[in-house]
Amino acid sequence: MTAEPIIAIESVGKRYGRVQALDDVSLDIARGEVLGLLGPNGSGKTTLIRLLTGYLTPTRGRLRVAGHDTVGAAMQARRRIGYVPESVPLYGHMRVRELLTFMARLRGVDARDVGAAVERASARTSLDDVLAAPIRTLSRGYRQRVAIAQALVHEPDIVILDEPTNGLDPRQIIETRRLIQELRGERTVLVSSHILGEIQKVADRVAILLSGRLLAVRRMVDTPDLEALFLSLT
Amino acid sequence: MSALGVLLRKELHATFTSPVAYAIGAVFLLVLGYTFSLTLFFTKVASLTYIFHQMYVLLVLLTPVLTMRAFAEERRVDTLELLLTAPVPELAIVLAKFLAALTLVALMLAASGVYAVLLGVYGEPDWAPIYGGYLALLLLACLLVAVGTLASSLTENQVVAAALSLGAFLMLWFADSASYLLPAPLDLFVVNLSLIGHFTTFVSGSLFLSDAAYYLTLTLLALFLASRRLADR
Repeated sequence: MTAEPIIAIESVGKRYGRVQALDDVSLDIARGEVLGLLGPNGSGKTTLIRLLTGYLTPTRGRLRVAGHDTVGAAMQARRRIGYVPESVPLYGHMRVRELLTFMARLRGVDARDVGAAVERASARTSLDDVLAAPIRTLSRGYRQRVAIAQALVHEPDIVILDEPTNGLDPRQIIETRRLIQELRGERTVLVSSHILGEIQKVADRVAILLSGRLLAVRRMVDTPDLEALFLSLT
Repeated sequence: MSALGVLLRKELHATFTSPVAYAIGAVFLLVLGYTFSLTLFFTKVASLTYIFHQMYVLLVLLTPVLTMRAFAEERRVDTLELLLTAPVPELAIVLAKFLAALTLVALMLAASGVYAVLLGVYGEPDWAPIYGGYLALLLLACLLVAVGTLASSLTENQVVAAALSLGAFLMLWFADSASYLLPAPLDLFVVNLSLIGHFTTFVSGSLFLSDAAYYLTLTLLALFLASRRLADR
């Protein structure tokens, strides 16, 4: 008997006016797995992620997160997800601790547990030194860490990172990669990137998207040459 | 604390740490103080009727500046995505922004209460129109802030949001004038949309449930539409 996937995407389509951003995508993601979503810009990675997080609603098909429909049971589904959007949106006027506390409370962490939750998330992302700093004064790398910390603060089952290494310097890229690797097994991670090397280094499986269609899903151990596979498919 | 409480706390913090709130409050009270002194000096009558109409005009002009940031700014810097992917209903997000802005307006109205106190100390004002006037201003503020919040939910450009709000307020203000051009029974419907028509009866000390219902209905409609706008994605 196979375990039920923590994320189930069934024949999902998303259309913006005349543009078909996603077309008939089906994909299951197992608990504890790191899945890399690979594709060029405009291939539908962010749309698929936004459908999972409930930011968008599908034109057709359905998505389930930990058994909860992302439309019919949106609140239950969203509670299970920690999400880092590509643009790393944060409230610049808030201090780091303030933002983490706000996000923890918003995602339903009990008032008595918020302090400990913030400490845990900040320790995990090495933010202890800047907890009292206003976010607008932080570097791009620190802002990315804050974005990851706010995604982890409520201890979600699933962590979704949309292009997490965009705009980071080499050291920050390595740190982000290490963090994703640390989460393996402990949480289900969905990470998107248009850089093959990034996916190759962190993912257990890769799903390749092009023009809104899912072209292939492969285990990384069975795909020694991801570059060749990508070129053959696209 | 509920999600609404958490969001409201964040919005109040954002509102009261912004210079916009203090600039608007200062302009409001400065203009009122000037008008109150002049009116009292010239008329020597212990009445706030003129001041209430002044406050009506100031609220129509200043509320768009107060509400234009609500969603437009969150859209512009993408933080709306953080809110809309949290396990929080859209209505709670709208209500938090509405209540935070309304709190500021209510504080401005409360601060203007000093003029009523002055009249009470040095004269013998008729209190019914004063109570009615403040009730009308509070209901008016609810409507203006709700429509301003709706306008802000439609765009990511703050100036466009302010222009939309001001346009809507002015259309409602002059709705009764437009009714002269319309055939029955449309004219009656448009007259009843008039912002000033429902306000004037309150300020004269006459309280009608229909006037209160007008403000509350439009307020709820605007808040509902704003939450639908957020949910439509």
